[in-house]
Amino acid sequence: MTSTAQDLHPAPVLEPGRTILELRGLEKRYPGTHALKPVNLAFKSGEIHAIVGENGAGKSTLIKLLTGVMPRTSGEVIWEGQPAALATPHEAMALGINAVHQEVVLCRHLTVAANMFLGEENSRFGILQQRAMVKEAQKIIDDLGFDLPAHVTLGDLTIGQQQLIAAARATVRGTKFLIFDEPTAYLTRKEADQLFTLIRRLKGEGVTIIYISHRMEEVFELADRVSVLRDGTLVGTRNIAETNDAELVKMMINRSIEQIYHKEHFTPGAAILESRNLSGKGFENVSMTVRAGEIVGLYGLIGAGRSEFVTTLYGRHRKSAGQILWEGKPVQINSEHDAIKLGMALAPESRRDQGLCLNLSVGLNLNLPIYKRISNNLLISNAQERTQADRQIADLRIKTPTRSALASSLSGGNQQKIVIGKWLAHGARLFIFDEPTVGVDVGTKAEIYRLFSVLLSKGAGIILISSYLPEVYELADTLHVFRRGKLVATHGFRTADHEEILTQALAEKQEKLGEQI
Amino acid sequence: MSTEAIPAEKPKRNYNALFGLTLLALLVLLWVILSLSTSSFASANNISNLLRQGSMIAILAVGQTFVIITGGIDLSVGAVVGFATVIAAMLINAGIPVFLAILMTLLVGVAIGLFHGFGIVKMGLPPFIITLATLTSLRGIGLLMTNGNSISINNDAFQEFSRNSFLGVPNLFWMVILVGIPAYIFLHHSRWGRYLFSVGSNAEASRLSGVNVQRTIYMAYTLSGLCAAFVGVLLASRIGIGNPTQAEGWELQAIASSVIGGTSLFGAVGSVHGPLLGAFILATINNGANLLNVNAFWQRIITGALIIIIVYFDGLRRRGSK
Ligand SMILES: Nc1ncnc2c1ncn2[C@@H]1O[C@H](COP(=O)(O)OP(=O)(O)OP(=O)(O)O)[C@@H](O)[C@H]1O
Ligand SMILES: [Mg+2]
Repeated sequence: MTSTAQDLHPAPVLEPGRTILELRGLEKRYPGTHALKPVNLAFKSGEIHAIVGENGAGKSTLIKLLTGVMPRTSGEVIWEGQPAALATPHEAMALGINAVHQEVVLCRHLTVAANMFLGEENSRFGILQQRAMVKEAQKIIDDLGFDLPAHVTLGDLTIGQQQLIAAARATVRGTKFLIFDEPTAYLTRKEADQLFTLIRRLKGEGVTIIYISHRMEEVFELADRVSVLRDGTLVGTRNIAETNDAELVKMMINRSIEQIYHKEHFTPGAAILESRNLSGKGFENVSMTVRAGEIVGLYGLIGAGRSEFVTTLYGRHRKSAGQILWEGKPVQINSEHDAIKLGMALAPESRRDQGLCLNLSVGLNLNLPIYKRISNNLLISNAQERTQADRQIADLRIKTPTRSALASSLSGGNQQKIVIGKWLAHGARLFIFDEPTVGVDVGTKAEIYRLFSVLLSKGAGIILISSYLPEVYELADTLHVFRRGKLVATHGFRTADHEEILTQALAEKQEKLGEQI
Repeated sequence: MSTEAIPAEKPKRNYNALFGLTLLALLVLLWVILSLSTSSFASANNISNLLRQGSMIAILAVGQTFVIITGGIDLSVGAVVGFATVIAAMLINAGIPVFLAILMTLLVGVAIGLFHGFGIVKMGLPPFIITLATLTSLRGIGLLMTNGNSISINNDAFQEFSRNSFLGVPNLFWMVILVGIPAYIFLHHSRWGRYLFSVGSNAEASRLSGVNVQRTIYMAYTLSGLCAAFVGVLLASRIGIGNPTQAEGWELQAIASSVIGGTSLFGAVGSVHGPLLGAFILATINNGANLLNVNAFWQRIITGALIIIIVYFDGLRRRGSK
């Protein structure tokens, strides 16, 4: 393909407000799960249409049907007045339907440019025009206002940056209908703003957009209309001006939540973990203490060194300098095994790469850290294996047909619940949660925060990493701000305002000045 | 949300059991067809023979399966078998008590497995490479040790063992049971078994969950080496000679048995009963083909076709059940 920057602006073929795509009785069954019950819904050309719903409500399933990733069980899809089979992704793309999926589905070992043109490479006589492709890709990226290089390997970028590339990729192929499935889950504030600008621009060009998110404020910021799915059923569609947060939540979970951020204050006890001038790959000279009964929040942009810091505490990486104290005594943590033995637990950032054994059962994933406890010298206690798994499934309301379903068959948010759930029965003293609520729905978020309180009340300490400011802001007793591998500021519970914290986390200009002085 | 009722453990178990039953049915079907179409198949003599033929590959396949579940492969097992016959022969001929000789041979298998673990974990070599290297060099070492000659074992009791039967069943087949039951318990009912699966599925996630990934890999290759050395002892007993070039190509038969038995070469999928059945299906096909006077060349082609067909249908169903 020889796309130029001009191709980015396809002339809108439809006057705004006409129905561009219509679902008639669209339905999807997986073995054991009725993921989408017959849905009727019409999308108007040029609108931003938000879809919200609990984890496992069927949002991603709907998208997979529209993009030809999965075949539908029954029903019809009408595209510009004509029935469309949508049997393959290729067909969907040819019509102008593109999607940015919940999990980045690109090739991590290829360059950004190669990924952008994957499937539509620019070649002359069968020879790839690599240089031209990089140049073109760079032009597109720059044009979109993303500050990213096109020649690097995709895997070298953060998940958020990869997501932006996926978005850029979806805009270059004469898109008329673009779907975003939780695009901001891994984005920093700044990246999210860039993405919103892009979305508004596309809308201006007449592109219809479906926007899926668990973050209500984004829905209200962007969308024209919003549809709510519950258990595979379309509960209703509202104009954004005629609804509010509470109503949507009520529609989503069929009950109301008075308070998402459940915060109990405990009197902090003795120090559990202390990091003294710790340095390692990606962070430098970090000192902090976590005491029993408190949540220590680490806020910063993705890539600020928070994950590296905690994985080093956890023995995954070597520290280069500094000291770690556990319950007041200096300790050497050489492996994850050491850390776990001391009493640490880590729910890592990336559920696909670090958190889950996707092609194994939900039960095995949940029990993985505690097999030692639920087996005698030789054998696993089957009864305990069952009850432990079922307890986490019930407590976290993990939506799965059985505990022996494969983890890969769960919806994104439900997979995330496993990553957290596996540590709850472990009885650790220090819990490290790295972006624990990515892709998790409102109701379950409230549930998870409640569980934090339970852990704290039992005398545990928590390190909570989040790039979503409201979350750390409302929950952390002590809030540390990271910027480029350094701990740059510390606040108490709600002692600083959002603006101040954001400035500290961003503050690129000031920092450069500061370094020169 | 509809999570109130969590039905008991069903799909996966069922699937495993179902697949096992299908294989068993296939085996029985083969036996029925062969008994009807040949006069000699159903004779006690031939059945014993068949069980003996299948037993050794079956034991190899069990060890191989542990390795494949972790996402690896052990190409060395055939060479280890040949090498072990030499060690066993030399030790027995040197007058060392048979029991001790067997134990020492098994230890050699363990050492080879540990070496593989070391190469993979510490040197970062791909399993394919390190075990391929062992495959060629072990045969070489064996040839050096024997000067290229076969060593005949002069101990009748040792050789009797593999010819005798117990309760009408050949001793060699009892050995499959001796290996199979602990292997089954190990893989499906111990935490180490769970770790084999989890490492094969996602090593990083396992490690962060506190699984000792390195030890798990060592364990898989050590068990495979141990099984191979054990088969070496059995082969030495059966043939009565030590020769490093024996068991040529057995690694491929072991891998084929394992794969026919439902093991996924991508790791994290496998069982103990599957490879056992797979090994006896292969043995039956070879045995039957001999009785029916099918050209030996055709036997190889049939085996290849069978692997494709079984794995294809297995894959279809697995995808269907998702
Ligand atoms: N490949 C699959 N096989 C079987 N069941 C599946 C599969 N994919 C999804 N499901 C089930 O279908 C239901 C809907 O899943 P879907 O991914 O559409 O949810 P979602 O609304 O996108 O949730 P989330 O907010 O967590 O991403 C869930 O119950 C899920 O377990
Ligand atoms: Mg989803």
